[in-house]
Amino acid sequence: MKSINRTISISLRVIKQITNDPRSTALIIIAPLIVTSLIGFSFIGQKEILNKITPALLGMIVFFFSFLVTGVSFLRERIEGTLERLLLLPVKKVNVITGYLFGFLILTTIQTLIVLTYIIFVFDQSYNNISQVLVILMLVTTTSVSLGIFVSTFARNEFQVIQFIPLIILPQIFLSGIFIPVNEMPQVLQLISEILPLKHAVFSLSQIMLHGKTLNNILPQLFALLGFASVCLVAGMATIKNRS
Amino acid sequence: MLPSTASAFNWDIYMNQKKKDILALEIDSLRFSYKNHSVLNGINLNISRGEIFGILGANGAGKTTLMKLITGQLNSQKGTIKILGKPASESKHSVGYMPQKHSLYQELSVQDNLAFFNQMHLGLSPFKGHSNVEEMLSFVNLIKFKKEKVLHLSEGMKQRLNLAIALVNSPDFLVLDEPTVGLDPEIRSYFWTHFKNLRKTKKSLFISSHTMDDASHCDKLAFLRNGKIIAFGPPKKLREATGKNNSSLEDAFLYFVKNS
Repeated sequence: MKSINRTISISLRVIKQITNDPRSTALIIIAPLIVTSLIGFSFIGQKEILNKITPALLGMIVFFFSFLVTGVSFLRERIEGTLERLLLLPVKKVNVITGYLFGFLILTTIQTLIVLTYIIFVFDQSYNNISQVLVILMLVTTTSVSLGIFVSTFARNEFQVIQFIPLIILPQIFLSGIFIPVNEMPQVLQLISEILPLKHAVFSLSQIMLHGKTLNNILPQLFALLGFASVCLVAGMATIKNRS
Repeated sequence: MLPSTASAFNWDIYMNQKKKDILALEIDSLRFSYKNHSVLNGINLNISRGEIFGILGANGAGKTTLMKLITGQLNSQKGTIKILGKPASESKHSVGYMPQKHSLYQELSVQDNLAFFNQMHLGLSPFKGHSNVEEMLSFVNLIKFKKEKVLHLSEGMKQRLNLAIALVNSPDFLVLDEPTVGLDPEIRSYFWTHFKNLRKTKKSLFISSHTMDDASHCDKLAFLRNGKIIAFGPPKKLREATGKNNSSLEDAFLYFVKNS
């Protein structure tokens, strides 16, 4: 019970830290709405295109913002010595990483619901199986939060976290099928896209939201996402040291 | 047969004596090196319970490494460290640590910071209020500022919160890394009053410093140089060892450095 309490305390602290900081709140809630509005109003006369873009947009927003905010938050923990102080207490690495994870799962769920509600009501769209969409996005969040923790080990300041965006985020966006369908890409790029979590997330979200499929119909993608999430979780955890 | 009142009383005395016998800190033949560079060269140290112990040394003398070994941030390579009779690695619950750097969550309020570390220490529910948080805020005189974000606090206030976090779980052994560095004389004196009050409650304090003003408040001192303890004892005895009348602790430090 004590261990669960510690994990919940870390989750609540992560949420409080972000909501107490207006810039982080704006980055998580307002920035995605601005991006969505820009795309939405660009395709105002072409609802079909907007409808097709939305699943990719959701996957991208969740992946990008949770990676960025986790990377910066965790870097601050390392720089300001709060992580070191935490690990001197009877707190385990698994409490820290799951605490972060649950905190961000709550935040990205809220983020997804706000963006989806905005798209549905402002741009008059309709989608299937919203609850199953949330399951996919949870796996995406787990991957991006763990990646953010992992990457924060190699950065010395916030600017260096941002420098990882062209390396980790942009290739995923270009190769996930958002702009060009993956099967129309050169063979090499198709192979590379197979090892990128966002490609599987975008495919899964499109199948569920647009083609009426369920989680049972996209099991290979689901397992791939689970695999990415697990590998990133282990890599993230390995960067947190209890003792030198 | 049930113990009589008298025998129960004797048992209490026996237990108190036993508790006194257990040292707050025992360090035996401690050595540590980073790569090929030797930082600590055979440290032996015993600190009694209810004592304020100060360790003094220039930058690079090995103070920080010693503190990291005591608090479990580093594993000892050779030698042993026992805190209140237990190996350092098993003493997390009974040690309070105040790092030199504030290590606080800037976006959270004073109360939220303290409550969070209290929950982490004791594994308490985050959904309930805990009286020790309020008590500790009163103790460090921050109750008026409990809703204030750490971001907006002065250095002295941050340092008081830093101390409150180290004390929140009522540890019997406290490790304080340069606790008064950068503080004005008024707050420094306020801190020392607190430290002496803690000693009255039988808590043991291990304080690192490089200022002689701090050192004069300690019950016992050790001078550390090149990873070795070159002198150990009460400040008065260390001053007397120079053989000069009215010698200061600084004179004593220089005397031992010269003769080491």
